[in-house]
Amino acid sequence: MDCPGATFSKGLAMTLLTTVYSFLYQFGDSFAYLTLSALGLAVIFGMMGVINLAHGEFVMCGAYVTILTAKAGVPLPLAMLTGALAAACVGAILEYLVVRHLYNRLFDSIVATWAVSLITQQAMLIFAGPSIEGLSTPFNSFELGDYSFSTYRALLPFFAIAVLAGLYLLFFRTNYGVYARATIQNAQMAKCLGLRTPRIYSMTFALGAGLAGLAGALYAPTITAVPTMGSSFIVPAFVTVVTGGANVLLGVLPAAGFLGLIQSGMTAAFGQLAGQIGLLITVIFVIRLLPMGMGHLFNRR
Amino acid sequence: MTVILETRDLSKRFGGAQVVDGINFRIEKGDTRCVIGPNGAGKSTFFKLLIGEHKPTRGQVFFKGQNISELLPHQRVTMGMSIKFQVPGIFPGLSVEEHLTLVLQRVPRFAGLQEEMCVILDDFYLRDERKVKAGNLPHGKKQWLEIAMALALRPDVLLLDEPVAGLSDEETRETGDLINKLKRKGITMMVVEHDMEFVRQVATQVTVLHGGRVFAEGPLKDVLEREDVVEIYLGKR
Amino acid sequence: MTFLNKMKTTELPKAAATAVAQSTGARPWKNVADPMLLLIVACFFTPLFLSQGGVSNLAYCLIWTFAAIGLASMWGFGGILSFGQTAFFGLAGYCYGVFTINFGDSPLSTWAGVLSGLLLCMVLAALLGYMIFYGGIKDVFIGIVTLSVTLVFETFMAQTAGPKWAIGAARLNGFNGMSAMPSLSLPGAGAEHILLEGNYFLFTVLVLLVIVYVATKKLLSSSFGLTLEAIRENPHRAEMLGIDIRRYQLLIFIFGSTLAGLSGILYTAWGSYITPSSMGLTASAMPIIWVATGGRRSLAGAIIATVALLDLSQELVVYGSQYALVLMGFILLVVVMLMPAGVLPTLKTMFFRQ
Repeated sequence: MDCPGATFSKGLAMTLLTTVYSFLYQFGDSFAYLTLSALGLAVIFGMMGVINLAHGEFVMCGAYVTILTAKAGVPLPLAMLTGALAAACVGAILEYLVVRHLYNRLFDSIVATWAVSLITQQAMLIFAGPSIEGLSTPFNSFELGDYSFSTYRALLPFFAIAVLAGLYLLFFRTNYGVYARATIQNAQMAKCLGLRTPRIYSMTFALGAGLAGLAGALYAPTITAVPTMGSSFIVPAFVTVVTGGANVLLGVLPAAGFLGLIQSGMTAAFGQLAGQIGLLITVIFVIRLLPMGMGHLFNRR
Repeated sequence: MTVILETRDLSKRFGGAQVVDGINFRIEKGDTRCVIGPNGAGKSTFFKLLIGEHKPTRGQVFFKGQNISELLPHQRVTMGMSIKFQVPGIFPGLSVEEHLTLVLQRVPRFAGLQEEMCVILDDFYLRDERKVKAGNLPHGKKQWLEIAMALALRPDVLLLDEPVAGLSDEETRETGDLINKLKRKGITMMVVEHDMEFVRQVATQVTVLHGGRVFAEGPLKDVLEREDVVEIYLGKR
Repeated sequence: MTFLNKMKTTELPKAAATAVAQSTGARPWKNVADPMLLLIVACFFTPLFLSQGGVSNLAYCLIWTFAAIGLASMWGFGGILSFGQTAFFGLAGYCYGVFTINFGDSPLSTWAGVLSGLLLCMVLAALLGYMIFYGGIKDVFIGIVTLSVTLVFETFMAQTAGPKWAIGAARLNGFNGMSAMPSLSLPGAGAEHILLEGNYFLFTVLVLLVIVYVATKKLLSSSFGLTLEAIRENPHRAEMLGIDIRRYQLLIFIFGSTLAGLSGILYTAWGSYITPSSMGLTASAMPIIWVATGGRRSLAGAIIATVALLDLSQELVVYGSQYALVLMGFILLVVVMLMPAGVLPTLKTMFFRQ
C-alpha cells in the first residue's frame, strides 16, 4: 500500500511534468510554425535579396493541392509531396514571368510580389469559394496528466528540424549547393566561372516556393484551408527572416527559437493576438538593434 | 603657420587587424598634402577616420583646434570640411543646375544665387550641361561637377580621395591644373592618391603611409627621392 | 571675374550653413495656371450636375487623396516607402471618434476632434520616425518596420471587443469598429449647427484639398524639397555636403503621415464609422497602388489616380470586392513592371516625344 507521501510527490511530479511539457509543446508548436513558414522566404531572400510577398500564396498552393490530391485517394505523405512540387512549379513560373525582371529593383520586386499575392488571393476567392473541406489530422492525440496533445503537432518541430537538416545537406553536400553558395557570395565571379546564374536563381526561387508549399502541405491537416490562409503565414515568415538575417541556415534556427519563446510566452499570458503583436514588436526592435539580423552574430569573421 | 587639421595617435582596429596605427598627422593652412602609400597601407581607412565614417579605436582628430572625434560626418562638413570620394557622388536624377543650387542655398554668398551659379558653371566648363541630369554626364564631367559642389561650400579644407581615378591622362592633367589654381588661392587640401604623376603635379607636402603607420613625411621632392620609399612600392632591389 | 578669384577661405558660420537661404530654388513654381488647381476648383461646381449619390461618391474618393499626397511626398520626393499610411489613417479616425463621442457634436468639439487626431499623428509619427531615421534603419527595412507597426495596430484594435475597452464614453469595439460619431459642423446663425454633410462636406474636402495641394507643392519646390530630393538620389553624398539627412527624413515622414491622418478623420466623419480593417494588410496596399500608378513624383498624378482607381473599385464592388481587388492587383503589377514611373508620367513622356 502506498504511503500518502508517495502519492503526493507522484502527483506533484506529474503536474510539474505536465506543465513543463505543456510549455515545451507550445514552444515547439510556435517554433515549427515559424521555421517552416520562414524557410522558403529565407532561401529566396538570402540568395537573391528578394522579399517575396507572394510567399503566403505558395503556402496556400501547397495546402490546397495536398488536400485535393489526398481527397482523390493519394496517401497523405505522397499528397504532401505533390503539394510541395506544385508550389515549386508555380514558383518557377512566377520567377520567369515577374521576378526575373526585377532583380536589381528591390523595392519594385516587393511591390510586384505583393500585387501577385493580392491577385492570387482574390482570384482564389472568386474561383474556389471561401473555403474547402479539409483533412483530418493524422495520428490522433496522446495524453499527459490532465491534458491531451495532438501527436501530429507534437511531431512537427522534429519535421522542421529534419527539413533544416535536409537543406543543410543540399547546400553543403550537393553540386547545386556549391553553385548556389558561390552565386550568393559573388554572382559576378560565379558567372565568370561559367555558372549559369539565371538558371541557379530560377532553381533557387523554385526551391523557396517548394519549401513554402511544403509548409502548407504539412499544416494542411491541422487547419481550415481558405484562400486567404497565406496571410497567416507571411507575417511569421518575414518576422523570422528579418530577425534571422540573410544567412539562411545560421539565421532561421536561432530566430525561430527566440521568436517562438516570445510568441508562446505572450500567447500563454495574453492570448493569440497578443502573441502576434509580440512577434511584430520584436521584429521592430530587432531591426533597430541588429540591422544585420541574428545570423550575423554567429557569422562574424 | 596655423595647423588646420591634426590627428593624435589615431588608430583603428578591425577584428584582428590593426589597420591604422598611432598616426600623428598635421596639415597647415595653405598646404596641399598628398597621402600616398602602397595598397593596404591604410589610406582609405585613415581618410574615413578623418571624415567621421569610422570611429577611431584610439586617438583623436582635431579640426581648427577643436576635437571633432565624436562628430558625425555632416557635422564636420558644416564646420568647414569638404569631401570628395573616388566614386562620383552626384545625384543622378537632379540636373547640374540643381546640384549647384543645392549647395549655394546653404552657404553665405557674395552675390545672387543665379549669378554665382553662372560663374561656377563657366569655371568648371559645365555651362552647356546646365539642364542635363547628372546621371547622363560622362564620367569626367561628373567628377568636375562634384569638385565644383565641394568648392561651392567654401570649405576650410578640401579632402579628396583619389580624384583622378578613372580619368584619362589629359583629364588628369586638367584636374591637376585646377588643383594648382586652388592652391594659389590659399585653399588647404589633402589628397589621397595613387597616381604619381598627379602627385608630382600638385603636392607641396607628402605623407607616405605603410602598414598603418607614417613611414615618411616631408616636402615632395625629398620624400619621393628616398630609397626606402621607392622600396616599399617596388620591393627591395 | 571667376568664382575662384572671388573665393575666400572664410569660416562657414554654423547658422548660415544650416539656415535655409532665401533663394527661390532651382525650380520656380508657377502659382497661377496650375491645371490641377483649376481642376480641383472646378469640382466645386459638380453638385450642379451630379446626383446626391454622385456627390457623395466624389467626396469619398477625394477623402483619400490626402493620404496619397502624403505618400507621394514621402516616397516620390523623399525616397521613403512607408507602409504606415493606413496606420495613421486608422489612428486619427479612432481619435476623432473617441474625442467627439466623449465631447459631443458641437462645431467646437468636432473641429477640436480633428485637431486632436492630427496632433496624435504628428506625435506618433515623430516618435516612430525618430526611432527609424535616428536609429539608422534604412531602405527596405523602413517598409518592414512601418508595415509591422500597421499590423500591430490592426491586431491590437481587432481584439478590443468588450466593455472594458473604452476610452471615456467611446467603446473601441474590436472587429466591429466604432460608429455613431457626429459629422463635422460649423456654427450656425441660431442654435442649430450647420452639419457638413452632402454638398457641404464636398466643399469642406475641396477647400482642404486646395490648401494641402498648394502647401505641399510650395514645400516640395522650395529649398527643403530640393534637399529632400538630393537625399533621395544619393543619401551618402547629401550627408557629405553637410546635410543632416535624418532631420529632413523625419520632417517629411511626419508631414506625409499626418496627411494620412487627415484622410482618416474625414473618412470617419463622412461615414460615421471606423474599423480595424482600414489598417489591414490589403488596405495598406491601396495608397501604394494609387501613388505608384499616378506617378510617385507627381502630386497631380497621385490625386487623379486615387480618384480614378477608387471610383473604379467602387463600381466593381457591386459585383464583389474580390473583382475590384484583382483588378487593383493587376494594375499595380503592370505599372511596376512596365511603367515604373507611373502611368501618367509615362504617357506624358510618350506624348511629348511625338
